[in-house]
Amino acid sequence: MKLSAEAQNVLDTAMRINNTDAKERAEIEQLIGDMPDDRVLLYKNVVSNPIGDLPRYSIHIRIQHMLTFVTFLTLAFTGLPIAFMDAVWAQPLNNLVGGIDISRVIHRTLASVMIFSMLYHVWYLMWITVSDISKGRFLIQRSIIPTLKDAVDFKLDMLYFIGKRDQRPEMDKFMYKQKLHYFAAAFGNLVMILSGSSFIFPEFWAAVLPEGSASYFQEMMRLSHPHEALLALLVIAFWHWYNVHLAPGRFPMQWTFLTGKITREHQIEEHFLEYIRNLVELPEEREYLSDLLDARELSPAADDDTLKTAEEPA
Amino acid sequence: MKHILFIASLLTLLFSNPAQAFEDDSGCLLCHKYPKMGRITEKGTKRIYQVMPGVFGSTVHRNVPCTDCHNYIKQLPHREVTEGVRCDSECHSIKNPATGKNFTHKPIYNKFKESVHGREKIETGLDADKPYCVTCHTNPIYNPAEDKLPENIVDRCVVCHEDRDFVVNWYKHTSRRIREVKRSPSEIVELCSNCHSDKALVERHVEAAKKEGRELGRKYPIAVESYDESFHGKVTRYGFTKAANCLDCHAKKKNYYMNVHDIRPSRDPESPVNPKNKVETCRNCHIYADEGYAQLDPHPTSSKEGNAFRYYANIIYGWVGDIVIVLLVGMALLETIGRRRDGVGWILRKGSSWWRKSKRNRDRIQ
Repeated sequence: MKLSAEAQNVLDTAMRINNTDAKERAEIEQLIGDMPDDRVLLYKNVVSNPIGDLPRYSIHIRIQHMLTFVTFLTLAFTGLPIAFMDAVWAQPLNNLVGGIDISRVIHRTLASVMIFSMLYHVWYLMWITVSDISKGRFLIQRSIIPTLKDAVDFKLDMLYFIGKRDQRPEMDKFMYKQKLHYFAAAFGNLVMILSGSSFIFPEFWAAVLPEGSASYFQEMMRLSHPHEALLALLVIAFWHWYNVHLAPGRFPMQWTFLTGKITREHQIEEHFLEYIRNLVELPEEREYLSDLLDARELSPAADDDTLKTAEEPA
Repeated sequence: MKHILFIASLLTLLFSNPAQAFEDDSGCLLCHKYPKMGRITEKGTKRIYQVMPGVFGSTVHRNVPCTDCHNYIKQLPHREVTEGVRCDSECHSIKNPATGKNFTHKPIYNKFKESVHGREKIETGLDADKPYCVTCHTNPIYNPAEDKLPENIVDRCVVCHEDRDFVVNWYKHTSRRIREVKRSPSEIVELCSNCHSDKALVERHVEAAKKEGRELGRKYPIAVESYDESFHGKVTRYGFTKAANCLDCHAKKKNYYMNVHDIRPSRDPESPVNPKNKVETCRNCHIYADEGYAQLDPHPTSSKEGNAFRYYANIIYGWVGDIVIVLLVGMALLETIGRRRDGVGWILRKGSSWWRKSKRNRDRIQ
């Protein structure tokens, strides 16, 4: 496979950062040269362990995700029956969580756990970023920070979905969908904290805001808290859970949030640039891929034949 | 003689019931004990005049003789009753134990008369919509606390107050006033809502005020629905007792039990929700409340007329939510269609999810 300029750049950077020696460089370049030109054939032919093959999330990120989602769901179940009190399900659900006297205590306690989880996350990100920068390993493309490339990737991916392209774009560790979701969740989290704080400390907000604006602020917060909660719950239920549980290739679930590992086929399909880095960082992955290319005769020469045979019936 | 005494005491045992023991000195029960005592009024209302001694004997007025309240009855058989019992009459038989004077509800009655709810016993027109004493004070006949008196408490009291009957009556008197006469916050909201959520009633008063050029509270037409929408309203309706109910803001906190009878409109400088008194009223619970805080709306509404800002913000929020969900679900569908066209399946088996035939002429090598 001849790497695109972008992928080549990722490869060169990864080899430089990892101080890859000349022997390994030659090995990696040889291996990449042997990869089929059609990236799709690569992820279609690999063997993946359902619980994950390649490292993706550290234990900290997994703990933060766990804290956030457990608190988020419980917060939703204790909060929504109050906001939507006149709905048929509200009273039974409120009784189920112990009635108003219990649920409000649960809600406030878990809200502080959720805030802790957010602070833990921000602290961890800062720590890991500073540490990476000091080691010269920080790469903005590999981080969650959105770049122009994400907009281009989005467009190319949509073209692939509607059948106008035959390849998905080469995406990095975090693709456009994940960045969108991450920042939506971060924004939502802040909105919930801000609006929640305006319910628990209304006097504080009235005191710090200029007179005349406090009531408008409070009205906005009163609307924001349930609207944002409901939106978040719907996005989680209909989009996030679909993406990680129900989508083909992910069903019945991606184990990443527990094991921290991503399946090989998923990595190559949606995070190809990260896979290139995996090849540099993980000698065992090189070995695996090399064996696979041989066993399945996927290298370009063989690949041509495969394509021809595939084309014949058409 | 012994036999007569024995029969008399047996009869007493058979027919006496402590609950029935109320004074009927004037012999009212001669007629009023009959279940058929009643009539249909000119308006077609069925009135029942039967008095059940067992029932009346367990009400708070059980010790008041009939003629103390029905003081317009001067002869038997009596004339047609026009006004009926007024709650400001004076008992001649019951003394106020604190002052030694005749017992009367007059002070609180007069307070009520000055309030926005004040009315006469018989009213026509709009004032008939206002509550009279009995609208709220229903003289409940059953008090579960009286059913089973706590033995340990009564036993303790009789150590000094030797008369057990006195202690029992005293306990019933106080227990009823501590719990039953005081409504819970959600019961208060329910009580006020009985009239204030009556659309026809509210409409009548709004129309009349408009016609007469009178001012009405800004929230008067939506008082109940907007409170129910508020955070105070929701948690109170769920049975939480520490959030503000109607009376916490609309009655002065000082001398509360008197002042709940003295509800005044917000334009009245005496009203705790008058703009001048708002901060102080908020501070009853929110001790750090200031001018800005007092502007927060305890009766929020999303109606266009009530609060245009909130109305449009709500609509925009709704649209943003709907659009986000539709776009995301649309994207997920598109993604599924696109990837399935290329051969992905639902289950990862033998290390791959790509077992289906691709429409793009490239399949997993079997």
